[in-house]
Amino acid sequence: MMEAVKLIIIGIFLPLFPLSIIFNVVFERLPYPALRGVVLLAWPLVGIYILHGVEEPLPDWVIIWAVSTAILYAFRLLAVRQMGLWIGFLATSAWSLLWIALNGGVSNDFPYLLALGFSIPLALLALLDRHIELRFGAAYTDLYGGLALTTPRLAGVLVFAVLAATATPVFPAFFLLLATIVNASPGVVVCLLLTWLLWAWASARLLQGLVVGPIVGEKIQDIGAGLSWLYAGMFLLLVVAGIYLTGGLL
Amino acid sequence: MTIALGTSLKIRSMIYIAAEPIPFFWPMRTFIHHNPLHGLENMSFADAVEKADKLFHGRTFLPRKIYQQYLAAGKINRSAVEVTIENFVKTKDQIEGIDLTKWLMFLLTEMELPFVLTNTVADADDVHAVMSGNSVRPGTEIDINLLEERLREKLLGDRLVYEVVDTLFGTDIANELDELVIKSCLDFFDEGQSVWEMPGREQGFFTAWRDVAKRNLRFFLRGFHISRILEMADTPEGIIAYVMQQLGIPEDQWMDYFTRELSRLHGWVGFIRWRTSAKHYYWAEQYPGDLIDYMAIRLTLALALLNSRKMKRFAHTVDAIEETIQSKTVEAYLRHELYGKGILPAMAHRVSGVLEAGNEKQLESVFYQYIAAKRDDEARHQAARFEKLAKLSDNSDALKQLGAHDIARLQDIILDFEQQEGMLWLRAMESKAIGRLMNGLTPVSQDQDSQPKRPFAQAMFCIDTRSERIRRHLETIGDYQTFGIAGFFGVPVSFMELGKGGETHLCPVILTPKNLVPEITAAAPQEDAAIPVLERALHELKESVLTPFVTVEAIGLLFGFDMVGKTIAPQTYNRWRRHMHAEKPSTRLLLDKLSREQADSIVRAVQRAVIVKAVQHEFGLEPEKITDDIVRDLREAALGHQPAAGIFAESLNLADEQAYAFVGRLQGVYRINGDFAHRQIEQLGRIGFTLDEQVTYVGTALRTIGLTQNFSRFVLLVGHGSTSENNPYESALDCGACGGNHGLVSGRVLAQMANKPQVRRLLSEQGIDIPDDTWFLPALHNTTTDELRLHDLELIPPSHLVYIDRLGNGLVAASRLCAQERVPSLSIDLDPEMDTDTAFSLAQRNSMDWSQVRPEWGLSRNAFFVIGRRSLTEQLSLDGRAFLHSYDYRVDPKRRLLENILTGPLVVGQWINMEHYFSTVDNDRFGSGSKVYHNVAGRFGVMTGNLSDLRTGLPSQTVLKDGLPYHKPLRLITVIEAPVEHAKQAIEGVVAVKRLVHNGWLRMIVIDPDTKNVSLYARGRWREVELPIDEYSSSEELLAS
Repeated sequence: MMEAVKLIIIGIFLPLFPLSIIFNVVFERLPYPALRGVVLLAWPLVGIYILHGVEEPLPDWVIIWAVSTAILYAFRLLAVRQMGLWIGFLATSAWSLLWIALNGGVSNDFPYLLALGFSIPLALLALLDRHIELRFGAAYTDLYGGLALTTPRLAGVLVFAVLAATATPVFPAFFLLLATIVNASPGVVVCLLLTWLLWAWASARLLQGLVVGPIVGEKIQDIGAGLSWLYAGMFLLLVVAGIYLTGGLL
Repeated sequence: MTIALGTSLKIRSMIYIAAEPIPFFWPMRTFIHHNPLHGLENMSFADAVEKADKLFHGRTFLPRKIYQQYLAAGKINRSAVEVTIENFVKTKDQIEGIDLTKWLMFLLTEMELPFVLTNTVADADDVHAVMSGNSVRPGTEIDINLLEERLREKLLGDRLVYEVVDTLFGTDIANELDELVIKSCLDFFDEGQSVWEMPGREQGFFTAWRDVAKRNLRFFLRGFHISRILEMADTPEGIIAYVMQQLGIPEDQWMDYFTRELSRLHGWVGFIRWRTSAKHYYWAEQYPGDLIDYMAIRLTLALALLNSRKMKRFAHTVDAIEETIQSKTVEAYLRHELYGKGILPAMAHRVSGVLEAGNEKQLESVFYQYIAAKRDDEARHQAARFEKLAKLSDNSDALKQLGAHDIARLQDIILDFEQQEGMLWLRAMESKAIGRLMNGLTPVSQDQDSQPKRPFAQAMFCIDTRSERIRRHLETIGDYQTFGIAGFFGVPVSFMELGKGGETHLCPVILTPKNLVPEITAAAPQEDAAIPVLERALHELKESVLTPFVTVEAIGLLFGFDMVGKTIAPQTYNRWRRHMHAEKPSTRLLLDKLSREQADSIVRAVQRAVIVKAVQHEFGLEPEKITDDIVRDLREAALGHQPAAGIFAESLNLADEQAYAFVGRLQGVYRINGDFAHRQIEQLGRIGFTLDEQVTYVGTALRTIGLTQNFSRFVLLVGHGSTSENNPYESALDCGACGGNHGLVSGRVLAQMANKPQVRRLLSEQGIDIPDDTWFLPALHNTTTDELRLHDLELIPPSHLVYIDRLGNGLVAASRLCAQERVPSLSIDLDPEMDTDTAFSLAQRNSMDWSQVRPEWGLSRNAFFVIGRRSLTEQLSLDGRAFLHSYDYRVDPKRRLLENILTGPLVVGQWINMEHYFSTVDNDRFGSGSKVYHNVAGRFGVMTGNLSDLRTGLPSQTVLKDGLPYHKPLRLITVIEAPVEHAKQAIEGVVAVKRLVHNGWLRMIVIDPDTKNVSLYARGRWREVELPIDEYSSSEELLAS
């Protein structure tokens, strides 16, 4: 009974549908970007911490449930136009995959780093979301677009953050996903690849709706050069970490 | 459903009239410059651009920011802008405390974006409230009836049903429909690009499409009930009527609706229009298709998409949409805001949520909140612009004193001004250009025009703007005299090139040549070179369905070598490749009309040759065994002059039946029969020109340019053409007067005529005395490399050969100087001071580099058309911006030559000018975007990406440089050097030109060389202009148009 309760609690922090609704409701209602960032970083760590306390092996149905949740939220990403919601759905989809990573063969030496590999780019995206909101009223696709021309620095940083969050080589999430795929059963592999494909598709749609297009309306102030360099440093750090730490997962 | 013949005809005529605003699109093989708004030339330029804005959704003037840059760079006179603003302000009631002239001047010169926003819910009261520090009215203070009225106007005014559905429900039917229609067009109109062609094309567009669509599995899976719609009528007209009734569009609105439908894919529609009107166009004759078919297909697909499964819950007829607007105004408004992209981003998510939930109370609550937020946003933005402009004008205090009523008035005045702004900038730019041109001209009166000494050589160049540079350089380096004439030299020719089966029309597209000129070899027969045969084989392997997979594995590396060679060292590699091909043999043109005997003899010779080949092929006989008797015997039998081929049967020991069967094959397969021989005789009748025709053409060409005496030893007839690699737009760089082909053949034709003693004798009787030592020599000006190459040198009389070296040196020097002037403009990376060697070499490289998207600028920057003697412009460098047509009014007392120039060259020049104008101001809509993304479609056009409308205009690389206009968009400034009355009467005599002048599609100026009077046509009348024109203070005459 205790183990079942634990699993349910873990299902909230490493979200499994419908428990995932809790995270998404909480995340959507958080008013401050910094707080959103912190939640994105901390939420899965709690799940992993509790998961370590589970002594019995995870039942197979949990893996199927986790994979289903990942696909479901990846699919929902395609239709989402608001970036905040998009980040929440991607986080849900990505964290649910941690069940598989932690359960099946992926090195458990740095379990918290695995989660951070997904969460740090998402936290950066949450901060960028705020930058866009301040300039346009909301980060909403297919309304204004043209960030590449109006605010090229912001657009550049956004593109890298989205790529990092959707497990593009050579960011940490890519190695994590690769390691999970290598160690998973064939059926799960197909599901993981489908999830990955949907992320890539959704990221292309998001970027197309925000970054591409002509300049519309008045001049918008771009983010500062210093901040751009700070983000660039973060991405570099992620790449290095990906190669040295999560890269070793294989 | 069967419709009456009358209704059917009515629909046909409606569609043809509806398509008139859409210009023709000629196949890219012979790119024809055209005015994208040609169909609106019956309106004034200002009205036409306004209509085009609505019809094609394209920008018709440059953005204000660019004009501001021109102003800063001195390309527009500030005084010209001020004069126009003052004139505008005079027509308006003043607002107390506001210096309107100052405000408008700052608006134009300091503010980049339009001042007046398209506010939907905020009015002057709200703007005033914001400026006074108060709040705008609450959201509940909204007149729902007014909102409903505005929605009705916006959605049901001039939009297509599926566009409205997309705006209300966030669907993407319009784009989906365009894609389906493009795919259908690609399938049907393909001209040999596809390996598998659409079945049943010979039955016509609609019928072929219908047969395929009924069996289309994808349509079925997507829930399109195509068959159900197609069952409703047998004819395309019936289908059109059915769909229009289903959509609920009143019949009196059908024509406007058709126009809007057609303008969505104006490239394809322009192509179909041209194809329908083209006479003897092979593909149109084989596979007929017209706009009625197109419309029927488009409407069928539109209705199928609207009726598809996923659309069932949405209103998708005019009545249903009207009902939605009326009964669910709030919802319709929010939908329109969200899916029409007008929504405030901050509320987009909320609005989307309530629309999905469909709860009426929530909808209403969010609606009022949205109205309040929107009103506040609009009012703040508008107020900010008022405050910014007031600050710039140092008038902030006065603004604060204004009441809401005055704010509204001010806003209306500025809105009116902004609507006229494009024309203001254009006139100001033109006034500057007119001033510079007119002040540089040197009209020479009859008294001053002394007989010059005999030049070493005279050269007739095309009027093309690219000739101006090379003419200028040729004149400066030696004793050369140049003339400008339309590049087909006034001789419309249908040319049949050696080794090619088809005819090429070498004349402007508005003419149809009657005379055929075949090219015949003057060399011994050659064996097929191995390399071209190998290339053909490779092409066939590449284009087949399965072989490419094997070909890539087997010989893919060969293509790799080709790619590396073309990329790394294009010049060396191309030179090497040229060596591998056999050179084109020396050729002659068959110019003279054939007599009946000659024609018979040719037909006989052809028949004999065919019979010999047939016997060789079918009986494996060696040539020496096929005697003349055998051939004669077979020929007579095949033509029915004798019952059997006895000699043939006896020689080959054949039975009578075998010989009889072979004669039958000769008649059927090899077409040795009386009917075909008769047709061949008729075809041969088209070949060449009679002596009288030749005299007329030569005489007219010489008189048109005023060259009737003082002929030099050489008269060069310089056609022009371009060379570039991997460039679907190559023909756009060739000679427009030669139908988008090289102009060399036209030069050869006129030279061959003019060198004929009989022609010269008859010309002499007409007063044009060409000396015996004058030799007309064709040449080609390669506009990409600037080379001038002489042709038909083997025909030059020995007495002239000693001068060829000097002539050649002169031409090379002019070419190098021209390259030095022109090449640095191609890219900002190039040294403007580069030496001639480097420039000439770079020009050569550009012509061979397959990665070069801009081998040359072509006709970009064209602005002027000067009709007059060279003396008028010879002191002026026109930077390759002027069409120069030589004309001497003294040899044209009846104005016929001038009328010819106006009818042909000027009209074509105006097409070119307008093509460049609109491709520059909106390259995405009227131009063809970047070449980088282009793909050839069906072998007749290009598309952007793999699926788009046919791109009709010029690519960005032709008119833009680093994203900014390289071409300066002006209307063609035309100058005629002639007595004012003489020119005016000629203009009035040519209806097409009169219309262009009166409607302001070109700026017309006449300069009298004797009195030096200058007249300019503006605002419905001729106005006198004083020379010199002060470039820095533009007169009202120049600004009016």
